[in-house]
Amino acid sequence: MSSKKTKDSEWGLSFGEMVSHEFVKNRLNVVCLIFIVFLFAATILAPLLANDKPYMIRIDGEAQFPLFKSLTPSDYSVFLAAAVGIFQLFLIRRNRRTVEPSLRSGVLWHQIAVNGVVVLVGCILIFIFVPRRLDATGYKEMAASGEASEAIFAPIPYGYARTDLASREQTPSREHWLGTDDVGSDVLCRLIHGSRISLSVGFVAVGISSIIGIFVGAILGYFGGKTDFIGMRIVEIMMAIPTFFLIITIVAFFPRSLLNIMVIIGITSWTGNARFIRAEFFKLRNQDFVHAAVSLGLPLRSILFRHMLPNGIAPVLVNATFGIAGAIFIEAALSFLGFGVAPPTPSWGQMLSLGVGVTGRFLWWLTLFPGLAIFFSVLAYNLVGEGLRDAIDPRLRKSI
Amino acid sequence: MIPTLLGITVLVFAISRIAPGDPVSLSMGVDGELDAERAADVRKARMELYGLDKPVHVQYGKWLWRVVRFDFGDSIKHHRPVIELIGQRLPITLTLNLIAFFLIYTISIPLGVLAAVRHNRFFDRASSVVLFMLWSLPVMWVGQMLIGYFCGPTFKQWFPPAGLSSNHADSLVFFPWLADRTWHLVLPVICLTYSGLAYLTKQVRAGMLDNLRADYVRTARAKGLSNATVVFRHAFRNSVIPVITIMATLLPAMLGGSVIIERIFSIPGMGLLAFEAVTTRDYNVVMAVATIGGVMNLVGLLFGDIAYAIADPRISFESSV
Amino acid sequence: MSRNGSLLSLEGLSVSFFTDDGVARAVQDVSFSIKKGKTFALVGESGCGKSVTALAIMRLIPEPAGKIVGGRIKFRGRRLLELKEKQMQSVRGNRIAMIFQEPMTSLNPVYTVGEQIVEAIRLHQRKNESEAWADAIEQLRRVGITEPQQRVHEYPHQMSGGMRQRVMIAMAVSCNPSLLIADEPTTALDVTIQAQILNLLDELQKQKQMSILLITHDLGVVAERADDVAVMYASRIVETADSKLLFAEPLHPYTRGLLESLPRLGFEGRRLHTISGTVPDPLHFPSGCKFHPRCPKGCKDKRCRGVEPELREVSKGRRVACWYAAGYESEEEHK
Repeated sequence: MSSKKTKDSEWGLSFGEMVSHEFVKNRLNVVCLIFIVFLFAATILAPLLANDKPYMIRIDGEAQFPLFKSLTPSDYSVFLAAAVGIFQLFLIRRNRRTVEPSLRSGVLWHQIAVNGVVVLVGCILIFIFVPRRLDATGYKEMAASGEASEAIFAPIPYGYARTDLASREQTPSREHWLGTDDVGSDVLCRLIHGSRISLSVGFVAVGISSIIGIFVGAILGYFGGKTDFIGMRIVEIMMAIPTFFLIITIVAFFPRSLLNIMVIIGITSWTGNARFIRAEFFKLRNQDFVHAAVSLGLPLRSILFRHMLPNGIAPVLVNATFGIAGAIFIEAALSFLGFGVAPPTPSWGQMLSLGVGVTGRFLWWLTLFPGLAIFFSVLAYNLVGEGLRDAIDPRLRKSI
Repeated sequence: MIPTLLGITVLVFAISRIAPGDPVSLSMGVDGELDAERAADVRKARMELYGLDKPVHVQYGKWLWRVVRFDFGDSIKHHRPVIELIGQRLPITLTLNLIAFFLIYTISIPLGVLAAVRHNRFFDRASSVVLFMLWSLPVMWVGQMLIGYFCGPTFKQWFPPAGLSSNHADSLVFFPWLADRTWHLVLPVICLTYSGLAYLTKQVRAGMLDNLRADYVRTARAKGLSNATVVFRHAFRNSVIPVITIMATLLPAMLGGSVIIERIFSIPGMGLLAFEAVTTRDYNVVMAVATIGGVMNLVGLLFGDIAYAIADPRISFESSV
Repeated sequence: MSRNGSLLSLEGLSVSFFTDDGVARAVQDVSFSIKKGKTFALVGESGCGKSVTALAIMRLIPEPAGKIVGGRIKFRGRRLLELKEKQMQSVRGNRIAMIFQEPMTSLNPVYTVGEQIVEAIRLHQRKNESEAWADAIEQLRRVGITEPQQRVHEYPHQMSGGMRQRVMIAMAVSCNPSLLIADEPTTALDVTIQAQILNLLDELQKQKQMSILLITHDLGVVAERADDVAVMYASRIVETADSKLLFAEPLHPYTRGLLESLPRLGFEGRRLHTISGTVPDPLHFPSGCKFHPRCPKGCKDKRCRGVEPELREVSKGRRVACWYAAGYESEEEHK
């Protein structure tokens, strides 16, 4: 393989870098990545973009900052996680320049672990120390009536939970760029805040399903025999019930909440990952490097996760990307049916369900815009998944 | 097969038992206060399900014994045996799904073969893009858009917005009745079909491309066979085999999709039944739907395996079942 | 049939592959001829272009990536490259047949071997169903398969590797081709089976007066079975000769290197001779003589590095492409 003239051409490229290079060769993949970044930005900055409180308001000569004061602990946690995430990306770039390839993955895991702990501790501290303030002051009235001498509002000056029955079901206009829903909330605002729900469900659910799937698959694949037989029966049983039926069955019996939705989607979709990892481990089990590790007396945990797993991780990554798209879709479907998160929490699926009124009236803006949001998100992740799959093995366009 | 069937019942039963708290307070938690009569109904349903003071495995045994004889108890909402309800609704869902299956296979296979034969030319590239987008389209969005744009007073009213037949359908003779029924089913069938169509076409295309590159195709050409013969007698014959097993992955997805589509178009099938049951916390129905859905899925898988063993001479019949 | 009795002759054949990473000139200016009833061996390492040459003769180069970009192929007086596809289809399997390296994947797994042989027979000969099946059974018997009446209804996966290769051969010779192209027919088989298959090919050749183009990297096979040999390196022919002469007196440094690398009985103690370096990437061939980086003399010689030597006839039937080959220099000086 002809090596590209990069800064680290003396060291050669790691697997991750080769895949990344191949991935960005296709412009479509890059466009999707940009869209996903844009989605992330919307999620992270949601309270700053769409909020009914102003950034700054001057009352009686005194400047106040109501928006910033009303940020919740979860908002701060999201900011912290985002900042640490971006920092980690910079670290990865720096690693490529300063760390030798064979050490790189070890260093990377170390960094991720440290950053993870920082985020975790930070979130705990945030939740303990940041007060939750409820502020019902009518800042808009103050600005309009002249009580306040100056006010700077967010670009979309509406709150996602505020109802304003006078402006129900309005078509898109200058005040409400994408219209309003059945209780008068601004659609664009709820779309932006809804991205938080969709993305968080996507990632947490896929995280859960990947971890369970990898674990189960590794054990079944490595041990084989009786363990595998019993384990595969369990996998078959779970796959026998149509996934959506299984999900709504569980939803019927458990109280509705965001966390429950994430967990339910996670624990119903691990079977695909388990099968991949099991297949990979079957193949790898008989290879010499595994025999060598066993004969050296390495602990099982190490053999499974440090030696065998990196070889089989590629299809799991691809599957995870498709899984995120799937989880976004399932959350939207559940909310659409009324089984997901409940109002006032914004959810694209729930907004979609309001599109057709009881009388047959078609509120097209409530169907078109949330639908487009769901569609583009699912499409972007699906395309990234396809792009990853092709980048990992361009000749082998088999179905994963 | 049998152990998996049993396993399904265990799983469904386990879910119902793991549920936290008392179904009465569960219902109250979201829907608000339940009136006394409703609470009594829910409690009665639970007693029926479990026989509360007995140990778990006895409860499971009793439940299983009833299930095997198709006794799933009574529906809280409809006050009728669940099995009766399912008997009414299941054929409708099955019909819809079978129609969709038929359409998917008859359209996807030629489409996929054509795309593979014209690999990388305009038709292949264009259809790949279109199909990929179709595959990513969320079905509830498609349904709502179709209803909004084609079924209502706001834009066009080409199709009826709900139901299986018009109100006056009973008075029609067979062919007009059939036409009316078809008219009602057009949009739901479209919603049920497009996603599976996109997926299957992609698989057929991929399979054909792989087989067209295979060594035995080279041998066939070296024998002097014409391109058409090579493509259809050799490559295609090998490509259809995996397509049969894809039915196994399509079926559960379509059953799940039925819930959404029947809800959107108000079609009285098993999907709508499931939706209503979950909304009203009609536990007997929920468990019955899950169990029967699982059984139907397994039966479909079994058919797929048998068909596969027939089509591929390398597979012996015993090894697949 | 042309004047000098050659059945097939290649003149300046060139095949290129057009990939995203550039143009790979897999075959360049290849010329040789095969006489009737003789075995011609095309020898070289993997990647030198010998299989592509064979596919080019059959016009089975996968388009659009690959293309025959130059040269002429004459078969029994006809110019193969100018034939329409339909005409070529009546040549394939009928006048020129080909067998491949991997018998497992080269037979269609979903049809019985009988069905596959009958397909070839009925395509090229006017026989009805029962005649064709009888013929297929007979072909199986001729290639040494016992109980052919039963075997004919078996699927490829039910047979061993050696048997499958026999089936391939039976299928190939069923229409009595004048030329059989055998692309590494024994490489994927056990050593004991290899000998059997090669003997079978010998027998068939004698029976039917069939020419064989044997493509292989195994010099041992060449020594015993071939009448004429051409050695290929990096898309070009570097030496052609009568088989015995080639082994007795190899002229090209590459041929010499190959022969010296063969392990020999009784050759004790010393390390095996190897040709240093590796086969070049067809996307980035070296300048001048393609072998020069690995040649003990050529790596230092300016002419070898700069100018590619042509394949030149240095004595009757002997051609070599090397500035240093015996007889080559003198020709140069002659001019």
